[in-house]
Amino acid sequence: MLLQLHHITKIYGTRVIFKDVSLSVAPAGITLLVGANGAGKSTLLRIMAGLGRASAGRVERAVDDARLGYLGHATFLYPALTALENLAFWRDIYALPLSDGALETVLERVELARHAHERAGVFSRGMAQRLNLARVLLSDPQLLLLDEPGTGLDTRSAGLLRREIAAARERGAGVVWISHDVASDAAVADRVVALHDRRVAYDGPASAYDPERSC
Amino acid sequence: MLKAVWAIARKDLRLTLARGSGLAQALLLGLLLLFVFSLSQQVGETMSPQGAAAIFWLASAFCQVLVFNMLYGLEEVNGARGGLLLMPWPVQAVWLGKSLAGLVLLLLAQAVFLPAAVVFLGQQISPLWSWALCAVLLVDVGMAALGSLLGALSQGQAARESLLGIVLFPLLAPLLLAGIRVGAGGFADALPEGVTSWLGVAAAFDALFLGAGIALFGFIYAGEE
Repeated sequence: MLLQLHHITKIYGTRVIFKDVSLSVAPAGITLLVGANGAGKSTLLRIMAGLGRASAGRVERAVDDARLGYLGHATFLYPALTALENLAFWRDIYALPLSDGALETVLERVELARHAHERAGVFSRGMAQRLNLARVLLSDPQLLLLDEPGTGLDTRSAGLLRREIAAARERGAGVVWISHDVASDAAVADRVVALHDRRVAYDGPASAYDPERSC
Repeated sequence: MLKAVWAIARKDLRLTLARGSGLAQALLLGLLLLFVFSLSQQVGETMSPQGAAAIFWLASAFCQVLVFNMLYGLEEVNGARGGLLLMPWPVQAVWLGKSLAGLVLLLLAQAVFLPAAVVFLGQQISPLWSWALCAVLLVDVGMAALGSLLGALSQGQAARESLLGIVLFPLLAPLLLAGIRVGAGGFADALPEGVTSWLGVAAAFDALFLGAGIALFGFIYAGEE
């Protein structure tokens, strides 16, 4: 297993966000994490990434920090740096052995090669999100944690995103993907975990997931 | 880890110096302080070397507050702090990188403040300037280490930005005193008494603030939003 959560509980002040959540993430699989607004999906994903602390429970991760890809609501971009400079910065931070040519190749994969020398601050939300995806792809992640990655993407970019997620699974990565578009995203997922009423209401094959019965 | 430290420092310097506005604000504040204090003198009157050194360090300290607020603000625009927290190195790399960038910016600012102090406050660079340079380097290291630690404390929360100045100045007092006492030698014909002791005080507080940075930075910077 790439990641295991054991009886995780999260409490903010006196508010219990979720309690006793246990799940595991295997290689080469896409897990869709679903639930209503405020169910704690993003909080759970941040705990998986190590960006948040659980109030109780234990997280076991068998993936190096350098091979963890986290794509959240924030893009992690520096607006005054160009797309290429942003990627070069994160390459250096994660000590990845990639040449500038390799960075340009990643930019081509997210269809931003033409904008490599433009400042990220002038990018649209969709372009910034694609550059964010490029940042995540740099490390060829073994564990990919995606928090509504399709936000702000047009149809073409959303297709590109799905291709990259599918390619990551083919390479053996485990993917946890928060989605609000369950109907279409469940088609490419292997498994669905649904959070409802502060607990895991469903954890099983995506093909058998029925939102009406789980919530 | 050192590669990450260098990457953070280089990125911060590039953003600050290329954009310019960040350091310009700190420079203008320091220069304004020097100019306003120069108005306190009568025409032809010369300020004492110790008074001039005190004003120089006051300008440096205010400059430092702005510099570290700005450096930590760079990560707040698009939440890049999250990315730094995910790096496969101890989070102290961020503190060290920011300290390094802040130290360079502080030295650059002081390179402007020094001639301004000579002109506005009617001072002369003495042959004993090497002692003052020692003091500048020692005091700046401590100021950068502490400024980087407390800059992390104030980041992301506008209400906390004022906290930086309030907490910083009392803690900096011993370092500033050392800088003023030894720095006065840079404007005088003779060294003040106890120069080596004051340099020792500065070195001791450098060690203290560097240790505090290593020990405390993780708790401050990795706190949940």
